[in-house]
Amino acid sequence: VLHATRQLHTTQQSLAPLPPLPEKGGEVRHGLIPEEFFQFLYPKTGVTGPYMLGTGLVLYLLSKEIYVVNHETVAAACILSVIIYAVKRFGADVAAFADKLNEEKIAQALAVKNEAINSLQTAIDEEKKEQWRVEGRTYLFDAKRNNVAMLLEANYRERLMMVYHEVKKRLDYQVAMQTLKRQKEQDHMIQWVEKNVVQSITPQQQKESIAKCILDLKALSKGAHAAV
Amino acid sequence: MNLSFFDQFTTPSLLGIPLILISTLFPTLLFPSSNNRWIPNRYLTLQLWLIHTTTKQLMIPLDKKGHKWALILTSLMALLLTINLLGLLPYTFTPTTQLSMNMALAFPLWLATLLTGLRNQPSTSLGHLLPEGTPTLLIPALILIETTSLLIRPLALGVRLTANLTAGHLLIQLISTASTALLPIMPPVSLLTTTILLLLTILEVAVAMIQAYVFVLLLSLYLQENI
Repeated sequence: VLHATRQLHTTQQSLAPLPPLPEKGGEVRHGLIPEEFFQFLYPKTGVTGPYMLGTGLVLYLLSKEIYVVNHETVAAACILSVIIYAVKRFGADVAAFADKLNEEKIAQALAVKNEAINSLQTAIDEEKKEQWRVEGRTYLFDAKRNNVAMLLEANYRERLMMVYHEVKKRLDYQVAMQTLKRQKEQDHMIQWVEKNVVQSITPQQQKESIAKCILDLKALSKGAHAAV
Repeated sequence: MNLSFFDQFTTPSLLGIPLILISTLFPTLLFPSSNNRWIPNRYLTLQLWLIHTTTKQLMIPLDKKGHKWALILTSLMALLLTINLLGLLPYTFTPTTQLSMNMALAFPLWLATLLTGLRNQPSTSLGHLLPEGTPTLLIPALILIETTSLLIRPLALGVRLTANLTAGHLLIQLISTASTALLPIMPPVSLLTTTILLLLTILEVAVAMIQAYVFVLLLSLYLQENI
């Protein structure tokens, strides 16, 4: 039984592309009768020809009772009015919905294509930017070279300064040593002189100086009394 | 021709040639097969969209094994829908008003679901006969009731479709007869009856579509239980 569901033809036999579908369907008048029928009768019967034909046909069928009016006629009128109302009311919406489904399908494919193009364009722009960046590389290297030279210079100056400070330190030490030595010699000399002077003061001299001081004091006191 | 109320339901024949086969299979002519275009015409687009949507709806509750039933369920639904809707046109024969055809559709498909269930997972299938959480005393009675309900399913499926459509068609015929008969006697009442007939026609259109859907839905539910 499963063989019955196997499809006989899975592809059309020729691989040539299908002819495109026409844009609009065939023209119909009153939703049923093709326009070509009216055009066919127009040369002989004019504009009202097909309508006269229709009316005559209906009246013939009714009058000869080839079509009998029975309960199905009323039922037919009802169902036909429902169908015509539905078609008139929802026809355009359904057609727009079908068109929207197709449009979405096309839009999806177009979106894929556009996205591919956009991504490639972005890639091209990025590449151009990279190339422009590469051009500026020389300036970068110059700046780097300048930086390095400045660093070297600063380092050299620093070391020069250090050398100067070290030399100054040693020279200052020598100077301080000399100053200290002279100071010590001076102090020592003063001390030696003072010591010798103090030693040379004999007791005799000491008594004479004390007596002189007492005489001076008396004279001064006399002078003070007199002043008062 | 003078119609009786049975003429709508007799099997159609032309000069002694039975037309039942072509009248049953005529709806298949209304579904064009997909041609190889990427963007088809509106009719084909709508048909593809409709079939796609209904198949997705039917197959979502089923697991992978149930997807083997997609073709038969969707084609069954399309066939029933078209047959029912075409039957509303005047002077048409509706095959689904015949109990024989509906039982021929319902019984084998229901039996297929049952046998699939009994073959692949017998204990689970039998377990469906007892709903969860029933009091212990009620278990024997409930099993009998559930078995009866299980065995009555094909009958219910077939008779549901037949009865709905036959009743609808019969009602349309009776009310239109009343309308026709009242027209020379009391035209306003005839007008009222015609209004009722209009509403009934709209109902019948809805019923036609719903019954087709319900048939297939119930089958898919029986399948869900058993697959």
